[in-house]
Amino acid sequence: MPTLLFEIGCEELPARAVYEAEAQLPRLCEQHLGVRPEQVFVGPRRLAVLVGGLEGQTEDRWVKGPPLALREQAAAGFAKRHGVSARDLEERDGFLGLTVAAESLNSVLPGRLDSILRGLNFGKTMRWDESGLRFPRPVRWTCARLDRGSVEGHGTTTRGHRFTSGEVDLPSAEAYPETLRGADVEPDAAERERIIREGLDALGQWRDPLGKLREVVHLVERPLVLEGVFDERFLQLPPRVVETAMQSHQRYFPLGGNRFGLVANGGDPDTVRAGNVNVLEGRLDDATFTFERDVQAGIEELAGRLGSIVYFAGAGSFADKTARLEGLADRLGGGDASMEAARLGKADQSAELVREFPELEGHIGAEYARLAGFPEAVCSAIAEQYLPDSAGGPLPSTDPGRVLAAADRIDALTVSFSLGHKPSGSRDPFGLRRAAIGLCRLATEGGLTIPRELLPGEVAEFVEERFEGLLGDVPVEFVRAARTASVPDLGSVARLARALHALPDEQLAPIHTAYIRAGRLGEKEKAAAKLDPELLTDEAEREVSQALTQIEPEITGAIEAGDFDVAVEAGALLGPLLDRFFEEVLVMAEDPAVRRNRLRLLLDVRDTIGLLGDLSQIPR
Amino acid sequence: MNYQEMISALQRYWADRGCVVMQPYHTELGAGTFNPATFLRCLGPEPWRTVYVEPVIRPRDGRYGENPYRFQHYFQLQVILKPAPEDILDQYFGSLEEIGIDTKRHDVRLVEDDWEGPTLGAWGLGWEVWVDGMEVTQFTYFQQLGGLELDVVSGEITYGLERLAMFLQGKRSAWELEWAPGFTWADVYRENERQWSAYNFEAAPVDVLTRRFAEHEEECAALIARRLTLPAYDQVLKASHAFNLLDARGAISATERASYIGRVRDLARRVAEGYLADAPV
Repeated sequence: MPTLLFEIGCEELPARAVYEAEAQLPRLCEQHLGVRPEQVFVGPRRLAVLVGGLEGQTEDRWVKGPPLALREQAAAGFAKRHGVSARDLEERDGFLGLTVAAESLNSVLPGRLDSILRGLNFGKTMRWDESGLRFPRPVRWTCARLDRGSVEGHGTTTRGHRFTSGEVDLPSAEAYPETLRGADVEPDAAERERIIREGLDALGQWRDPLGKLREVVHLVERPLVLEGVFDERFLQLPPRVVETAMQSHQRYFPLGGNRFGLVANGGDPDTVRAGNVNVLEGRLDDATFTFERDVQAGIEELAGRLGSIVYFAGAGSFADKTARLEGLADRLGGGDASMEAARLGKADQSAELVREFPELEGHIGAEYARLAGFPEAVCSAIAEQYLPDSAGGPLPSTDPGRVLAAADRIDALTVSFSLGHKPSGSRDPFGLRRAAIGLCRLATEGGLTIPRELLPGEVAEFVEERFEGLLGDVPVEFVRAARTASVPDLGSVARLARALHALPDEQLAPIHTAYIRAGRLGEKEKAAAKLDPELLTDEAEREVSQALTQIEPEITGAIEAGDFDVAVEAGALLGPLLDRFFEEVLVMAEDPAVRRNRLRLLLDVRDTIGLLGDLSQIPR
Repeated sequence: MNYQEMISALQRYWADRGCVVMQPYHTELGAGTFNPATFLRCLGPEPWRTVYVEPVIRPRDGRYGENPYRFQHYFQLQVILKPAPEDILDQYFGSLEEIGIDTKRHDVRLVEDDWEGPTLGAWGLGWEVWVDGMEVTQFTYFQQLGGLELDVVSGEITYGLERLAMFLQGKRSAWELEWAPGFTWADVYRENERQWSAYNFEAAPVDVLTRRFAEHEEECAALIARRLTLPAYDQVLKASHAFNLLDARGAISATERASYIGRVRDLARRVAEGYLADAPV
């Protein structure tokens, strides 16, 4: 069975596009060639697949046409569409149709390779010539080999390294990787990554704080890992500024101190190293100028400039945002440090260094606050306000940090929802899901009290829904039940859901059943407005009534104290009493006064258990 | 190779490849792309090739001649190849060889950098070109100008002349570049930076500029109506420069900013439409 190599040769593709293609190529091969590729080779200048086990030819294929009964009306049209005459149509199982004869792989391949090329979908594409083809960057050649044979419409040469090699003949499909390795190109992305990692490991403890390695793998075809050393005087800059200057534009990897690793695409090592050191020192020089200008202005003046910087179209400037953050910090119970951090938190949005390196927001504001002599609690809160910055990322380590982080997220969510920017499906351009998850984690893991009343209806719903995936093994129904309880803050919703889930089933079952039955029965007829103890005749109902008078305040008190296990267990004490009640007491008594009094008792039962949430959300 | 020799060599290289050697435009531009030899000529189907040096005026970027990496006035060498030929990148790399950059010894790379010019309603995809980590060129395949999809795609090659010269001369600062024997870049332009920074940040008259912006806008509309597209385009450029100065003076609030950009873009779009409508068929 023949093996195919198909290569799409491009001008340098963005790494993002390379990853998009890598993810789609196996499925496209399966769809158009019937098998998944043995190997996918991707990089900046080429997207290629090696596909083995192809069928040498297609099978005869029956194309079903109109039913025999419609011969008059439809046969001619069907025949014309398939380029035959109506007389040539055959009959099979009551239908007209035609047999497409088997074709050799060679004759169908050009069309199928074209379908693979055109089947690739990319986020951002361009046109470059009159062909009108859209691709992330111009396609400059295609190369195909079927074993040692050629495929019509495609070349049999590939291109080696852009500067040290040229057009090279590809003798056979299987020879693809070795041919390219001989032309200074490592076509296998995993192998390039391995070479880069090994090269960096050999230099020492390298770091990649901004996550550039994924991109660097597709910025080179022949990785050359080098070490650079810059002048020690730049170590006076805040370490994060130095690191960001290394990573943000230049994609270098910090090695600690004044050393860094860089990955080139070839060239003379000494020449390339010297050039890169020169560039980095220039950037650090420039960063020093910019840093000093910001420091000279000082954080108060930077904060004063916020009125002229838009936060979000329709939501005013960063000065407006700052005023809102101060209000929220106050309502979140923030102390002096929190209030000061809220006032200065966004000041660095007007810093020149942040305009240059947006990744420094927060960190550099904290640095400027430090230089202006603000207490460390204020400075660290400014630095930590963007945490957590990923689903499982660390939370701010201080109270003021947590207050500012929560205020920032509440404001972002409120503003975005009020302007109609709600996430839909997988579209979430403003990262609102991440913000909401961050808020939930600040409330649970961070222990911050976030009053639910700070979140407008839709926002509260959106945020609290995030708990459904955040509480480990607590099923979503328990979260839904807890959300309906009138607990005052976000963290309590989570803790109540956990407490409900933690209650053993034999304790939960009776109150769950009773809650639903009591609700259903109690609504049947008009109940008494108030329970009359004189009318309680049976012992079972007197017991329930007495228990309620003790348990209701117990639950309320425990909820107020935030002790949800106690609240839930108190509720569960009603279970056996209610079991007995439903067994022994006839609710719909003949005497209307007794009946209405019992209905009242049931509604009180429902409302008391309901303090723990709408248990009917939990399916049993 | 000094600064002026480098410029001559690049101009000659592109002239040999069929480019019309043009001279800088006569009014302030924020980038070589604003020159009508790029913005207007890249509209429509007619082939066009040009090379020219453009002084770039960016009032906000001035630093009083104190920071050798930031200027409010510097130079680009702009090349337009329309339509973009298949070997455009090889031609470009040839120009680097021409000025003495051995692409086998150095690490020359194309790093994704997509370009967008909001005031011109323009965007394109391309790269920044690195030589040993130094960004020396912006390369763009235009997709849209003046809000109009382009049927014929032009390749735009914009050399940052100071960066390129710093690389060639092994200098860390633009001040130290040898412009001509006996003259550095600082000799020629440093005082210029100091005075213009003071003008841009302190002296430029806000009231006058605000009025001027509106006048340019008005005149542009009147000229479009009279189908004098080329003079109308000059008014777009002048309005754009007035906006840049007001911005440097800190006279434009956050909300106004978007509206100013929108007004310039609207003019650029109408000029582009007028240019195409009146183009000889």
